[in-house]
Amino acid sequence: MARFELPSRPRPDGLAGDSPGSTGDHHLPGALLARYAVWFYRLRWLVIFLLLGLEILGEHPDLLAPHGLFLDWHWPLAVAICLILLNAAILGVLYRGGLETIARFPRLTLWVQIVADLGALTVAIHFLGSLHSFAAFAYLCHIVLACIFFPRRHSLAVTGLAILLYLACIAAELSGVLTPGGLLRPPVLPAPGQLSPLALAVHVGMALSTWLAVWFLTSRLSAEVRLRDSLLEAANQRLVAATAERTRHMLRTTHELKAPLAAIHANTQLLQNGYVGDFGREAREVVEKIAVRCQALSHGVQQMLQLANLTSRGQAAPPRAALNLAQVVAWAVQGVEAEAAERGIGIATELEPFHLVAVEDHMKMLFGNLVSNAVTYSRRGGRVHISSRPGSGSSCEIIIRDEGIGIEAAKLPRIFDDYYRTAEAAQHNPASTGLGLSIVRHIAQSEGFGVVVESAPGRGATFTVRIPAAPRGGSAGS
Amino acid sequence: MAYILIVDDDGDFADSVSRVLRAAGHETAVELSPEAGLASISARAPDLAILDVMFPEGESAGFDLARRVRSTQPRVRILMLTAVNQKYPLGFSREDMDEHWLPVTDFLEKPVRLKALEAKVASLLQTAAA
Repeated sequence: MARFELPSRPRPDGLAGDSPGSTGDHHLPGALLARYAVWFYRLRWLVIFLLLGLEILGEHPDLLAPHGLFLDWHWPLAVAICLILLNAAILGVLYRGGLETIARFPRLTLWVQIVADLGALTVAIHFLGSLHSFAAFAYLCHIVLACIFFPRRHSLAVTGLAILLYLACIAAELSGVLTPGGLLRPPVLPAPGQLSPLALAVHVGMALSTWLAVWFLTSRLSAEVRLRDSLLEAANQRLVAATAERTRHMLRTTHELKAPLAAIHANTQLLQNGYVGDFGREAREVVEKIAVRCQALSHGVQQMLQLANLTSRGQAAPPRAALNLAQVVAWAVQGVEAEAAERGIGIATELEPFHLVAVEDHMKMLFGNLVSNAVTYSRRGGRVHISSRPGSGSSCEIIIRDEGIGIEAAKLPRIFDDYYRTAEAAQHNPASTGLGLSIVRHIAQSEGFGVVVESAPGRGATFTVRIPAAPRGGSAGS
Repeated sequence: MAYILIVDDDGDFADSVSRVLRAAGHETAVELSPEAGLASISARAPDLAILDVMFPEGESAGFDLARRVRSTQPRVRILMLTAVNQKYPLGFSREDMDEHWLPVTDFLEKPVRLKALEAKVASLLQTAAA
C-alpha cells in the first residue's frame, strides 16, 4: 500500500539568513560579501600608493626634518611590498575565475585581507609611534569595516585581534625587543619610559576602551540594519511566492469555471443546429434560453476575472509593448464579425495608424468591450462606424459610433460603474453583465486616457477615447 | 475526408466536437489525457490534432503535448483550444506561436462556436493539402 505524508510547513515568522539565531548573527549574502572583498582589495591600492609616496618623502629627510618629521628605515616600502603581494594574489584569483571564485569563499577572502592588513598596520603603527602618536586609532577603520562585513561575534574577533596586535607591539617595545619608533620628534605624547605603569595602563586603556565602544555601537547598528534587511528579504520572498500562487490560482479558477461552460455551450449548439435530430418549438425555446444564459455566464466569468486582475494590487506591472492602435481595433472588430454578420450589422472602419507603448491585453480589453457593445446594442441591420482623428498636439482620438438603443442622459454618469446596466440594456441584451464599461474605466484611468460618451435614447451612442500625446509609457503619433 | 484526433480531459466537450466533425464527413477519435493522445498519435498519425491546454495533472500539459507531437510528427496540424486566453499574467496569444515554444498551427478560445470550429478545421486541412 502506498503512503504519503503531507509535509509540514515552517512557521511564517521565521527569519531568513544563513544562520538565523540571536539578533546580530545574520550573515550578509555571499555575493554582497564578494563585492565588499573586491572593494577592499581596490582600496588597498590607494593605501599602497600613499605608502610609496611616504617612502619617496623619506628619501628627502631635508624636506621633513624642519617640520619635526622623521621616517625611520624604509618601513613604508616594506609594508607596501607586503600589501602588493597580497593584492597580487587576489588579482590572480580574480583573473582566473572572476568574481564567482571569490563569491565561493567571500568570508575567507575578507578574513585573509583583514588579518594581513592588521599585521601591516601594526608595523606602520610601531614606526609611526605606538604610544606617542595617535596612529593606533587607525585600527578603528578595520573595526568599523568588520562590523559592516561580519556578524557581531566575528567583528568582536577582529577587534580582539587588533587589540592583541597592538598590545604585542607595545610589549615588544617596552621589553626592548623593538626600538620604539616615531614619526614626530619630539613625540606628541611622553615616551613609554617616561610614564608610570599606572599612567601607561590608563593611556593604553583609553585607546582600547574607545575601540571597544566603537565596536559595540557600530556592530549593534549594523546588526539592526542586517536584521531589517533579512526581514525585508523574507517578506519580499513571501510576496513573490504569494503573487505566483495567486496567478496560478487565477489560471486554474478561469479554467475550472469556463471549461464546464464550454461543454454546456457545445452541447446546446448540437441541439440548436440539428446534430442530434429535430425537436419541437417549445423544446427549441428552452434550449435557446440555456444557450443564452450559458454564454452570458461564460462572458461574465471572463469579465469578472479580467476585472479582478485589473484591480489587484501587489502584483507586478504587466509588460508594455509598442503597439499600433489601428491593429488593436481591427482585432476587436474581427472578434465581433460573426455576431455582426448574423444580425446584419455593418461595421465600417476608417483608422489611421497610431503608435504607443501600452499593455497589449489592456488595449484589447478596452477596445474589445467598446466595439462589442456597439454591435450588441445595435438593432438588426444597423451600422457601426469606427474612426480615428488627430487630437490636440500629437494625441489621437478613436471614435466608436453605433445607431442602437442609446442611453438616457440621466443614466450616462453611471454606465461605467461596476455591474450597472440600464433597464433598456438588460432588456435588449439579457446576457449583459454590467462589467464591460467598468473594465474600460479601469484601463482608461490607469493609462491616462480620456473617454467621452454622447448618446440619446433610440439614437445610438458615440464613445470617444482620447489618447494623450505622451501617455504612461510614451507614444509616437503617426 | 480527414482523420482528426481530439485530446481533451472534458469528455462531454470532446464528444460534442467529435460529433460536429463527423457530421462534416471527417473520421475522429477522442482521447482524454496527453499520454493517451501521444500513444494514439504514435499508432496512427492524424491529419489534425485538436488539443486542450490545461489538464488535471498540468497547467501547460497541452503545450508539452504539442511540442512532443511536433518533434515526432512534424506534419500533423495542431489546433489548440483553451479556456484561458489572457496573455498576462499567464496565457498566450497568436504572436507567441513559434516552432519551439508553442508549435501550434492555430488556437481557438472556449467556449467555441461549433460552426466557427468547423470552418477553422476546414481551413487548416485545406492549408495542409495545399
